[in-house]
Amino acid sequence: MRKQSPIVGIIFWTVVSTLTLFPIYWLFVISVKPAVQLFSTPDVILSDPFWGNYAKVWGDRLLRSYMLNSVIISTGNAILCTILGFFACYALSRFKMSGKESIFFWTITNRMAPPAVFLLPLFLLMTQVYTIGEWRLLDTQIGMILVYCTFNLPFAIWTLRPTVDGIPKELDEAAFVDGASSWKVITEIVFPLCRPGLAVTLILTWVFAWNEYLLAATLTNFNARTLTTGLSEYVTTTGTEWGIMATISVFTLIPALIVFGLVQKHIVAGLTFGAVKG
Amino acid sequence: MANVKIDNVIKRYGSLQVMHGVNVDIEDGEFVVLVGPSGCGKSTLLRMLAGLEEISEGTVSIGDKVVNDILPKERDIAMVFQSYALYPHKTVYDNIAFPLKMAKRPAAEIEQKVTNAAEILDLTKYLKRYPKELSGGQRQRVAMGRAIVRDPQVFLFDEPLSNLDAKLRVTMRVEIKELHQRLGTTIVYVTHDQIEAMTMADKIVVMRDGRVEQIGSPLDLYDNPGNVFVAGFIGSPSMNFVHGKIEVKDGKKAFVSDGGLTLPLPETTAAEGQSVTYGIRPEHIQIGDTGVKMQVVVVEPTGSETQIFAKAGNDLIDALVKDRVMAKPRSEIGFIIDPKDVHLFDRKTEKRI
Repeated sequence: MRKQSPIVGIIFWTVVSTLTLFPIYWLFVISVKPAVQLFSTPDVILSDPFWGNYAKVWGDRLLRSYMLNSVIISTGNAILCTILGFFACYALSRFKMSGKESIFFWTITNRMAPPAVFLLPLFLLMTQVYTIGEWRLLDTQIGMILVYCTFNLPFAIWTLRPTVDGIPKELDEAAFVDGASSWKVITEIVFPLCRPGLAVTLILTWVFAWNEYLLAATLTNFNARTLTTGLSEYVTTTGTEWGIMATISVFTLIPALIVFGLVQKHIVAGLTFGAVKG
Repeated sequence: MANVKIDNVIKRYGSLQVMHGVNVDIEDGEFVVLVGPSGCGKSTLLRMLAGLEEISEGTVSIGDKVVNDILPKERDIAMVFQSYALYPHKTVYDNIAFPLKMAKRPAAEIEQKVTNAAEILDLTKYLKRYPKELSGGQRQRVAMGRAIVRDPQVFLFDEPLSNLDAKLRVTMRVEIKELHQRLGTTIVYVTHDQIEAMTMADKIVVMRDGRVEQIGSPLDLYDNPGNVFVAGFIGSPSMNFVHGKIEVKDGKKAFVSDGGLTLPLPETTAAEGQSVTYGIRPEHIQIGDTGVKMQVVVVEPTGSETQIFAKAGNDLIDALVKDRVMAKPRSEIGFIIDPKDVHLFDRKTEKRI
């Protein structure tokens, strides 16, 4: 068979990479232009960057608090979903119980309806049911973490189930015979072996919460407002501040890029986990 | 070290009973092999000993202590699994050290015991490797190392050699036997391979369909099988069986097969006209002109031995001889059977007569 020229591959991947990365580059270009230049003839090449938007965004205490909220809510939600999802999967995988598969299917039904359907019931729950005296769950970080868990936990269970199922039960049994308690079996054997699946679940649930807009826009007001909802504040009746929005978007992208970069190896391993018999 | 007593053990999965009152007494330091075909309940019995399966009825005692309701970790046993069950994310050292760490032993003791076990099992240079970087035999040895560091009262082996190739299996067989001689610990070993059972065991427990068929020393089972199943299961190649009746010819009892073949018969209590199964091991048949005339079907030379399959009427019998026999298919051959090597079983009950 004739060996294919590497040029074809190089051209193909250059085109694909350009199509993928250009919007991000363009976002950055917009973020380093003053408002007056934005609507002049587009200039693809970056020259004489204007850092005023970054200074403005970084100097804005409100936006900094939105970012902090986003980080806390996304991270809290991701950790909670991953841990609870792991234990749920361990129980589904290892314990004998009737209707196990029905329970498993039932968990995903939460994600079958569009999130908007849940808005009103969630709003009522957070304002009228889950209250202690004057304190309400609405517009709190913990409230948003729990709301996101409602949607992300089923996803976490579905993502982690094949991973936990893929760990042979004989390893648990060997550890039991070797003198381990149930807790030790989980922490010493099963949990470390699930690392690729856990990394995938952690990052995906984190990204879901980080990018979410609809629930955050409705169920937060000021205290737990996130960056995505903060973005919308720059679309006003008097105009849209594209430079500021682009800058916030760049800020939104950075943590996701860092997290993806750190766990990229695990994600690839996790997504292919169990694909072939090891 | 400890003795083990399995007393009238029954196992049910819902309404399905898979074990029907099993009784086995294992002496202190004995090497006992549970053997039988797939699905006979040998692994289930071992798992019940380990505490990995519940016991529906009956009792299991280790060292005079009933362990039915005791957790595996408190039974003072160590188990080697068929798949080795090594922890893939731990090095060989950490795998072997795991039971000691779980027992919260001091670090110095752990190191000394792991090093000692690694020396016994020739694993010293692999201690920093992960299981995936080891060969099948080395993994098997790591699994044994993990078992021996605990110095348990009883070792349990669940078909530990079945994933190895034939050559390695022989080597590991010798190593396990040597290990038993060195440590003197009671061993309960499960296998479906009767050669493993014969070569390793002090005592063999033959099982079928959740019942014990016979218990005895390897040679006892070979020489005096209690029924047709044990006779056919123990010994390789398998014993020849011919169905027929006891008849009286010239005032003497004789065996006449359903196909009309008359075969030599030892002194027997079998009555005239009784339907019996006649058993003779292939290696107990000699070739000679004075023997029972048969027609050669297939000759299989293996160098050291020759296996000859021959038939008379519908009865097919095979013989295993040391000589190099050059008989051609369809030629006539004489099978000499010494009556003292013959085993007779009742055809209906399949029990030894």
